Amino acid sequence: MLQQVIANTVRIIFLVLIQALVVGKIHLFDGLILPYVYIFALLMLPFQTPAWLVLIISFFTGWLMDYFTGPVGLHVSACVFLGLVIPLVNTFLSPREGYDTSQRPTVQRMGITWYVTYASICTFLHHTFLFFLEVLRFSDFFYQLVHIILSSIATVMLMVIGQYIIYNTKSSDQ
Amino acid sequence: MKNIVELIKRFYVFLFYLVLQGIALAMLFNNTNYHKAEFIRTSTDWVGGIYSKRANFAQYIKLNDINDELALEIAELRNERPESFEVQRFGIDSLIDSTLNQRYYYRQAKVVNATANKEKNYVTLDRGWEGGIQPDMGVIANGGIVGVVRSVSQHYSIVMPVLHADFKASVKLKKSGYYGSLIWGGGNPGVADLIDIPVTAPVAVGDSIVTTGFSTYYPAGIMVGLVEEVQQANTDTYLLKVRLSVDFRKLSYVMVIQDIRKNELDSLNAQMEQMDAATGNR
Repeated sequence: MLQQVIANTVRIIFLVLIQALVVGKIHLFDGLILPYVYIFALLMLPFQTPAWLVLIISFFTGWLMDYFTGPVGLHVSACVFLGLVIPLVNTFLSPREGYDTSQRPTVQRMGITWYVTYASICTFLHHTFLFFLEVLRFSDFFYQLVHIILSSIATVMLMVIGQYIIYNTKSSDQ
Repeated sequence: MKNIVELIKRFYVFLFYLVLQGIALAMLFNNTNYHKAEFIRTSTDWVGGIYSKRANFAQYIKLNDINDELALEIAELRNERPESFEVQRFGIDSLIDSTLNQRYYYRQAKVVNATANKEKNYVTLDRGWEGGIQPDMGVIANGGIVGVVRSVSQHYSIVMPVLHADFKASVKLKKSGYYGSLIWGGGNPGVADLIDIPVTAPVAVGDSIVTTGFSTYYPAGIMVGLVEEVQQANTDTYLLKVRLSVDFRKLSYVMVIQDIRKNELDSLNAQMEQMDAATGNR
């Protein structure tokens, strides 16, 4: 239990720093593609995490992110929204026999199809919320939509590739 | 029975979500007014520390580019030096001592963080009030104007660049002298909009846009960019798309400008406003 708390805390801090110092500096096609990979830390929370705890963790992750990137509240708001969505998507995608309580949502455990579906829904909803909250208007709607879709694809790709690099199939209790 | 328990649980989680979301939005909209954003003052020092470590590393990798830029900067500074002095000639016997007539003082600073892909972008510099930076000073880089200093801590300061939804500067067409306002509409970080140019003004693609010197932020004649596209905003005015001469995705060194006569000009303006108000009341 304690080990899990430490592992998740370290993961959140590490991913926020990666986001602020490396990934956030990517300006592909004049900023059209802008991945936010730090949400991987929230997508990695174990299945049995209670929904209220997911919300609290999301809140503080967003806060930490906001210290690096500008107006405090923007990422907090988007992350809290994501925190609401994650348990719902988990329920929605649950296999007939339910989740094994020790399982965590990774490609190795759940399979690539399941993972990409799960990550895509969560990422798309988070990016949509974030980008529209940032500009606060619906003009340039199609530009925004393309921006959101391409950024989400980039985020999901980075998360899946990252898992293949960091967690190899043998160490399955990561 | 189990379903009802499940439903109540869901309901409380959603209620909890609404509370957290409310806090988040309150934080966001209280900070939108940048001048009141106190969090920047407290967070600049530790976040700035992390960013300056990153910038050190990144700058080591692009040292070659930076050297080129510095050489250009020095050359340009030599050309600009006489413009920092403003000698007012009243007659043959008036005192012409250039050391007493310096108008602008430049301080160099290193960029430790900059964004260009948001709606409201900011540039963080590694120089704060200890280094002589004060709010409302203008900032330029080798090619042209960058923005205005907004918030200052001991070692860092934050600049509101042209790429910010609230940025506005008074600029003019170099050739004809017609002036208007420079704003940024979001999207492409290389292009800003110039509004309020009357349709009677002669405008062509490729014309230079420079600062007017009306404000105390920048001296007159600092390059802003080139006209890229001419559009008609309404029957009276043009909307000009301006290709900015500063690439905000590659900023590394900037100059912060202090207008030595700022206080004098400001108090004169305030005096004038007071007099106007007094006449109005009578």
